[in-house]
Amino acid sequence: MSNERFLTGCSAAAQAAKMAEVEVICSYPIRPYTAIMMELAKMVANGELDAEFVHGEGEHAQLSVVLGASAAGARAYTGSAGVGVTYAGELYSPVAGGRYPLQMAIADRTLDPPGDFGSEHTDAMTFRDQGWLLGWACSPQEVFDNTLMNYRIGEDHRVMLPQMVCQDGYFISHIPDKVVLPEMSQVKEFLPPYNPPHPLHPERPVSHGPQIRPDQGAPMDAQRAAVFLEVPAVIREATADFNRIFGRKYDPFIEKHKMEDAEIAFFIMGAHSNTCRNTVDELRKKGVKAGMVRLRWVRPWPTHALAEAFAGVKAVASVETSTSYGGAMRGGNLVHELRASLYDLPDKERPLVTSFMAGLGGETIWLHDFEFMAKKLLNMIAEKRTSRYVYWIGFEAEGGKK
Amino acid sequence: MKKNLPEFGKIVVPKERAVPFGAVTPAPESCQLLFMTGNWRQKRPVIDDKKCTRCLTCYMVCPDACWTFNEEEDRMQWNPSFCKGCQLCTHECPSEALTATPELDFEGGVVRLAKPF
Repeated sequence: MSNERFLTGCSAAAQAAKMAEVEVICSYPIRPYTAIMMELAKMVANGELDAEFVHGEGEHAQLSVVLGASAAGARAYTGSAGVGVTYAGELYSPVAGGRYPLQMAIADRTLDPPGDFGSEHTDAMTFRDQGWLLGWACSPQEVFDNTLMNYRIGEDHRVMLPQMVCQDGYFISHIPDKVVLPEMSQVKEFLPPYNPPHPLHPERPVSHGPQIRPDQGAPMDAQRAAVFLEVPAVIREATADFNRIFGRKYDPFIEKHKMEDAEIAFFIMGAHSNTCRNTVDELRKKGVKAGMVRLRWVRPWPTHALAEAFAGVKAVASVETSTSYGGAMRGGNLVHELRASLYDLPDKERPLVTSFMAGLGGETIWLHDFEFMAKKLLNMIAEKRTSRYVYWIGFEAEGGKK
Repeated sequence: MKKNLPEFGKIVVPKERAVPFGAVTPAPESCQLLFMTGNWRQKRPVIDDKKCTRCLTCYMVCPDACWTFNEEEDRMQWNPSFCKGCQLCTHECPSEALTATPELDFEGGVVRLAKPF
């Protein structure tokens, strides 16, 4: 019988790590992710979880410890937030290049300066191109589910890549919601034990992390890129198995809400999609054919799924909760890849696309903010053109007032 | 509804250029032949056996274990395949038996190699 609980995103992550039977955990405190480690530390202390719990002396050490643990054949777990994520920066590429499928839980937070504790996607998004699987959850339940799914996908021998399992700080990490905890038998059916091909072992000695020659750099990059071509099929399989075993209805790559006949649509990821979904329902009541697509994976980016989802939509708002200063659209990060994904649609089906900077520094994106975006999209349809690449919610002359 | 969109193509890494999974290699028993670093060297340590007291300081300081004591010949032996030319040994030798000599001074000096080993 399933066990229904009221959990924060942090508690949900800890519960999932426990049910995944992680073997080595490395912690270092930084809010808001810290609560995950507090829960896990209690579980280890109480004897509920048989894991080595190591206190790192910083985030760089955290990633180094779990790299070693993963190389030795242990299922390893760590995490961070904000400037903690950036402090560990050096390790992301070697962890992916060495093919260590460890997991890093991120409850996101703005970067300095100056310090702002609020949620923002910029921390993990800064490291999106290092060869990790990366995606945001939109509920504590999805945090729990993504933790298990990411281990399954990352540890698959066709993949063998590390994973950043992200949740919005505070909005998800600290607000409790209903979470259905499965039976251990279900978890065991879904998630086989971690079985790396070449673990460090005294009886079968191997060298990990050697310096490679200059002529080996390009093939290693190409091999890592080639793995990402295999990942989508593994995600599809794992999602189908997850849905079957745990009774969920996840689309492998994107959540589509009222997209069948949508004329305007929001493109969004993470916690703010919950308000966005409600706004779509409200707009529908007013006769506006609105829809929403929520991104579940930033890496691998679901290029084709997005093109299929947005084909025929007239105008799309990319809702940006991370910064790309000086970037092509002078706003956020998602819009670049969204526009690139839609570029090859036939002229008649290619939507107009703009972006909205919103939810930065921990701000809430309100219903009226989404309505403001919808108004802009309807204007674009009337004018038959995109007149602005980016709007800054709360900093526009006519709108975003609280 | 399947769109006629571009594909990602295939990445073909020729077998002879492929790097082992995660760059994991069999552990070496004495030296890692898959990764020789001697061609990084600009200067090599040249030993004067008469000045050398066999104190093993070079053996202690070499970060790449390129100095070993050859008991049969009663002299220090240098491994040219892995010595990066860092000159720690020439600096630390208490009897000034080691001289950092430019690779260009040698007929087969590694700086003359067209290809790394």
